[in-house]
Amino acid sequence: MKSSTKLTKMKTPALSSSRRSFLRSGSALIALPFLESLGFRRFASAAAAPTPPKRFAFLGMGFGVTSETWYPDQKDTGADYTLPEGLAPLAKHRQDLTIIQNLANQFNNEAHWGSTFWLTGANRYAEPGQSFHNTVSVDQVAAEALGNDTRYSSVQLSYKGTDNSGHGPGLSLAWNRQGKPVSALNTPVAAFHRLFSDDTTPLEQRQADLLKQRSILDTVLEDAKTTRRGLTKTDKDKLDEYLQSIREIEERLAKEKEWLEVPKPLPDPAPVEPDKSLQGAEEIKVMYDLMAAAMQVDTTRVFTYRQPLDSFIRSLGATITAHNMSHYQPGNRMDVSQMRDLEQSKLFAHFIDRLKSIKEADGSSLFDHTTVALGSNIHSIHYLTNCPTIITGGGAGIQHGRHLVMPPKTPLCNLWLSLLKGSGIEADSHGDSSGQIRELFVS
Amino acid sequence: MNIRKFICAASAIFLPSFAPGLDIAEVPEKHGDILAEYCFECHDSLTGKGGIDLEDLSFRIDAVGTAETWQKVLNAMNSGEMPPEDEPQLSDDEKIALLQDLSGQLVVAREQLSDTGGTSTMRRLNRREYENTIEALLGVRIEAENLPDDANSGGFDTTGSALFFSADQFEQYLAIARDALDEAFLFGKKKPKPVRVELEPETSKNAFLTKTSGTIKANYDKAQNWRNSDGSKPPSHFGLLDEFDVKFRERLYNQQYEGYRKYLDDPRTKDAVLLQPFFNGTNTVTVKVPNNAPRGEFRLQVFAKVLKGAERSETYIEYGFPGARSGEIERLGCVHVPSPKGKAEPLTLPVTVSSDGPRDIILRHRQHNNRDAARGTFLQSQQKTGTGPSAKLAIDKVILTGPHFETWPPRAVSEVFFKGMWWTQADQDTYAREIIARFARRAFRVRQPSPAFIDRLHKLYLEETNAGKKFYEAIREPLAIVLASPGFLYLAEPVGEGSGKKEKKTNLSNAELAVRLSYLLWSAPPDQKLMTDAKSGKLAEKGVLRAHAGRLLDDRRSDEFISSLAHQWLHMERLDFFQFDFRSFPEFDDSMKEAARSEVFETIRHILKNRLPASDLLDADYVVVNNLLADYYGLGPVEGNHFRKIPVPEKTPRGGFLGMAAVHAMGSDGNHSSPVERGVWVMRYLLNDPPPPAPPNVPQLSRVRGKLLSPREELDAHMEEAQCAQCHRRIDPIGFGLQNFDPVGQWREVLHLKKTKGRRVVAKKEVTIDPAGQLPDGSTFEDFYGLRREVAKHGEAFTRGFAEALIEYGLGRPYGFSDENLRERMLKRANAADGSMRELLLAFIESESFRRKK
Repeated sequence: MKSSTKLTKMKTPALSSSRRSFLRSGSALIALPFLESLGFRRFASAAAAPTPPKRFAFLGMGFGVTSETWYPDQKDTGADYTLPEGLAPLAKHRQDLTIIQNLANQFNNEAHWGSTFWLTGANRYAEPGQSFHNTVSVDQVAAEALGNDTRYSSVQLSYKGTDNSGHGPGLSLAWNRQGKPVSALNTPVAAFHRLFSDDTTPLEQRQADLLKQRSILDTVLEDAKTTRRGLTKTDKDKLDEYLQSIREIEERLAKEKEWLEVPKPLPDPAPVEPDKSLQGAEEIKVMYDLMAAAMQVDTTRVFTYRQPLDSFIRSLGATITAHNMSHYQPGNRMDVSQMRDLEQSKLFAHFIDRLKSIKEADGSSLFDHTTVALGSNIHSIHYLTNCPTIITGGGAGIQHGRHLVMPPKTPLCNLWLSLLKGSGIEADSHGDSSGQIRELFVS
Repeated sequence: MNIRKFICAASAIFLPSFAPGLDIAEVPEKHGDILAEYCFECHDSLTGKGGIDLEDLSFRIDAVGTAETWQKVLNAMNSGEMPPEDEPQLSDDEKIALLQDLSGQLVVAREQLSDTGGTSTMRRLNRREYENTIEALLGVRIEAENLPDDANSGGFDTTGSALFFSADQFEQYLAIARDALDEAFLFGKKKPKPVRVELEPETSKNAFLTKTSGTIKANYDKAQNWRNSDGSKPPSHFGLLDEFDVKFRERLYNQQYEGYRKYLDDPRTKDAVLLQPFFNGTNTVTVKVPNNAPRGEFRLQVFAKVLKGAERSETYIEYGFPGARSGEIERLGCVHVPSPKGKAEPLTLPVTVSSDGPRDIILRHRQHNNRDAARGTFLQSQQKTGTGPSAKLAIDKVILTGPHFETWPPRAVSEVFFKGMWWTQADQDTYAREIIARFARRAFRVRQPSPAFIDRLHKLYLEETNAGKKFYEAIREPLAIVLASPGFLYLAEPVGEGSGKKEKKTNLSNAELAVRLSYLLWSAPPDQKLMTDAKSGKLAEKGVLRAHAGRLLDDRRSDEFISSLAHQWLHMERLDFFQFDFRSFPEFDDSMKEAARSEVFETIRHILKNRLPASDLLDADYVVVNNLLADYYGLGPVEGNHFRKIPVPEKTPRGGFLGMAAVHAMGSDGNHSSPVERGVWVMRYLLNDPPPPAPPNVPQLSRVRGKLLSPREELDAHMEEAQCAQCHRRIDPIGFGLQNFDPVGQWREVLHLKKTKGRRVVAKKEVTIDPAGQLPDGSTFEDFYGLRREVAKHGEAFTRGFAEALIEYGLGRPYGFSDENLRERMLKRANAADGSMRELLLAFIESESFRRKK
C-alpha cells in the first residue's frame, strides 16, 4: 500500500532533549510566546527570524447576499468606488479589501448549493453514470503545499445540524483529491479542543496507543481483502472509499507520531473553552477568534469555515428561515437579508481586526501573510452568476483597495488559481479555470 | 438526428414527429425551425459564438454533454439572456412551447443520465440501518450522531452510490462501537433490584418557589428603599450594586412576582404541582433516576388530574429529557390525562435510560418546545391578566421504578459470552478466540470472516492482556473492530458466491435474499426464523418468501420501512425546515407536529395491513389518527395515544393526503401557506407529473415590489413573464385550490394579509379565498372538494409514482427506464387484487429484480 512507503519517508522530529524538557517542564497548558511556538521545529538550529508562512482562510456564507445593497455599482470600479450599505462595517479595512464581481462556476446549476462546488468548480454530472461528482477544493490544494510543517495540514470548521442554510451537500467546504467530503469540527467547543487542548495521557501510553491503532488498521485491511473478492468494478470502487479512509488515517497517525512529544502551543492570551450553548452570531465570532489564535501558534495554515446561516439570522432576531430570507422581496424578508449582510460584514471586520492585531516574529502581522476569501456560489435568490466574493489579506500579493468587475461569467476558479499562484503554490489549473486574473496583481 | 440534418430533411419530406418516449429524452424536432430562425446567426457551426454550436446539437438527449448544452439553452432563455435584446425575439407562444418541452425533457434526461442504468452499487449500511443493526446485535439503542446523516443526499438513503465514506468515519465507527459494547454488557452475577423513587413533587416545588419569590421581593424592597430615600446614598448602601441593579431587580419583580404569589396562594398547590407557564418557562415536575441505577427500561407512574376550565386540547402531558435550553425538552412522548368519574388510575410511561445519558425526566403540559415560546405565552397572558396563564393540569405524585430486565444476564451478554462468564472458564484465551469468531460470524450476516482476520483480532486481544488489561477490556477492542470492518458495514453481494450454476450466478443466495428482505422491511438484519429458513433452503420454496415478507411487514419493526420510504419519497424533511409561530399557531406544537407526521406513516401502514389500494391516499372516507389529532381535526374525542381508523363524513376536508395537517404544513414556511410549494408537491407526488426544478438565474418580479398583494395577485405576476408562465400556469392553480388550509392544515375561509415592519403591522387586508382552478390536464374544479375529486382520478398515475419510489428505495439505485416492465407487472398484480398496495409490495419482493444481484 502506498501509505507505507509514505510512512518511511516521514521525518522524525528534530527535537533536542533539552528543548523537549523545556517544553515539557511547565504544565501542559503553558502559554508559549509567539516566537517560541512558531516554527521552532524548522528553525531550531537556524539563527535568522523565519519568514512568516502563507496562510489561507475560506469562509462560506451559504445563501447569497442582498443584491441591491451588497454589491458596489458595476460602473463604479477602481479604488474610489463607493462602499455599499451592506459592506459599510468594513469601511476601516477598505484599503485591504478587494471586491470582485462577475465570477461564477459555469457548471453549478443547483440554486440551493452555495458551498458544494464553491471551492472546486466541479461539474456535478462529469462522471457518466453517477448522479454526483466533485473534485478537490482549493483549500486542500493549498494544504498539500502548506500543511507539511504544522500539526494539522488543514482544519475544517462548520456548524451543527442539517438546517437549510444554502450550503448544499458536503461535510465542510473541503473536498479531498478523490472528490469526497472532508468532515469538519462542528462546534466551537470541538474546535477549541482539537486546536488547543492537550491529551493528558502519559507519553508512553500514547506511543503504545499509536502502535495499537496501526495494528487495528492492519486488522480491518485483512477483512477488506476478503470483502473485495467477487466484487464488480463499481463495488470495488465503493470499497476503495473505505480503504482511502484507512489510508488517510494512516497518514494522520504518521503525522501524529511526529508530533507526539510536542504539546499544543497556546497563544497569549490563551483561549478559554467556549460556552456549549453558543449559536449564530456569537458562534461565528468565537470561531473567528479560534482561527486567529490557531494561526498565531501555527497549528495549521489552512482553514475553511462553512458558516451557520439559519441560526445566525435567528440570533439576530429574525423569525424566518434562511431559505425564506434568500427569496427576499421588499418588506420583512429583505430587511432580514440586509440585516444579515450588515452583521456578516461586522463579524468579518472583527476577524480582520484580529488578524491585523497579531504580530509575526518579523514584526509584520498575521494579516500580511494570510489570504481570506468570503463568499458563496449563490449571488442572491436563485441567481448563480456573479458570486459574491471579497478577498482580503496580504498572502497572495493582491493590490487591494479596489472594486474589480470582470467580464461576465469569468470562472471563479481563475480567482482560486490566482490566489494559489500568488501565494507561491505551484498549480497549472484549478477546476475549470482558464487562467489567472491578472488584474488582481496590477493596479 | 441533429438540427442540421433536420433542416435538410424537412425541406424534402414530411417527418413524423416522434413522441418523446420514456427511453431517451428527446426535444421535439418541431422546434428546429425556431432555433434556426432565432439562434443560428450566432450559434451555428460556422460562428459557434460562446462555444455553443446549436446546429450540430442532437435532438436526442442521450449524453451528458448534450444535456448540458440544452440546459444552457434553457437557462439562457429562462433568464431572458438569449436572444440578446437587440435581436429578433421569439413570440410568447413559441417561447412557452419551447421552454416547456425543453424543461420537461431535461427532467427525463436527468433521471436517465444521472445514474448507472439499472445497476445498484454495493452499499454500506446507512445511519439508520447501522443503528438498527447494532441494536439487533447488542440490544441497546445508540444514537450515531457523529456519522453523516445519509438522508441528505437528495435521493433515498439506500442508494449505494451516494453513500460515501469520509476520512474520519472509520474512527467514528470504532468509537461508537466501543460505547455500544460498554452500554450493552452488564455483567453482574445477580439481576439488579429495581429502584423505586416516590415523589410528592409539591414539597420541594413550593419550598423552591417560596424561596425564589422571597428573594425577588427582598431585592425589590431594597430597590424601593433606595428609591424612597433622599438620594444621598448610593444603592450599594441599600444592599444593591448600582442603579442598573436597581432597575434589574424591579424588572424581575414586575415580571415574575405576582405569578409566583398567585401560584403559592392557590390552595390546590398544597398537595399537587400545577403545570402552568411562569416567566422563565413552565412549571415542570422533574424526576431523577438515581445515578447508581444501571441503564435499562424504567416505568414512570404519574398521578395527574385535569383542573377546572381545561379544554380537551389542554389535557395533554409531555415528557422528556432536558433540552438544550431551559424551557425545552428532548421529547419522549405526549399523553392525554383522562378525567374519570371515580378514582384516577396513574398514567404509565415507559422510559429508556442509558448509562451516560440524561437522568432527569421532565413532565409538563403540552406546549411549543422552545424557550421564547414559553416566555412569549406567559407575557401575552400577563398583559391581559397581570399574572400569566392559569394551570390546566396538576401532578399529585410520581413513582419511578426500574430498571426492569426481562432476562438476566441481558440477552446480548448471554449471546456473546455464550459459554458463560469468562471467570467460569479455565482457558480464557481460547474462550476469547471463540467469542470473537462467533461474534464476527453473527455480525457479518452472510459472508464468513476469514481465519486470518480472526487471528489478527485474537492477537489484539492477547496484546491487550499482555499489557495487563482485564478480560473484558482486552476483548472489547477486537469486538469493536468487527463492528467497524467492511464485512459488517457493507451489504456486499459478491457475484462469485451466488446460488446455482454459471447462468444463475447473478441470483442471490438464500442468505443474501434474507438479508435483502429484512433490510428492505426492517432496515435491520434478519431474525432467527428468517435466517433458519434461508439456511435450510426453505426460503426458495414456493410461497415461503411471500410468507416471510408478510410476517416482517406486520411486525412493528417495519415502521422503519414505512416511515423512511414515505419520509424520503414525499420529502417530509420540509416539516422540520420551519418553526411554526407559537402566537399564530399555539396548537401546532412539537407534539402535534409529530402526530401529524405519524399520521402519514400510520395511514400507509393501515393501507398495507388491510390490503387497501394506494389510491386511498388521494381520497378516503376515513382517517387514521390518535387522540391528539382527532381533537385537532374536530373529529370528536377518541381515547388512547395509538393510531386507529375512524370514519369521516362525506363533506369534510379530512381523508387522504390532501386532508392531512402534515401535508399542508410542508407546503408552508411556518407563517404563510405557499401555493407554489403545495402545487409542486401535488404535481410531483399525487399526479406523478413532476414540474422541472426552479431554474437558476430567473429574473425577480420587480413589478410587485412593496405592494400588499394576495398570493393570487402575486402569482399572477408569474404569468406575465413567458419563462415563468410555462410552469406556473400548471402549478399555481392547484396551490390556490388548497388555500382553504392554513399553514398548519386547519380550515379557513378568509385570508388575512399583513405587511409588517419589524413587529409593527403597517398594512392589513382581508381576502375571501377563491379556490376555483384547473389541473394541468385541463379538468376544472370549483372548490377544494372538486380538486380532491379530480386528483383522485389520477390513482393509476399516483400508484405508478409510488411503485417507482419503492423500486428506487428497495433496489438502492435510481429508477431507470429498464424498470418500466417491473413497475407494470407490479401494478398488474395489485390491480388483480383490488388495487392492494400490499400486493404491489409483495409483487416487488417476489420479482426477478429483487432476487437478483445488481
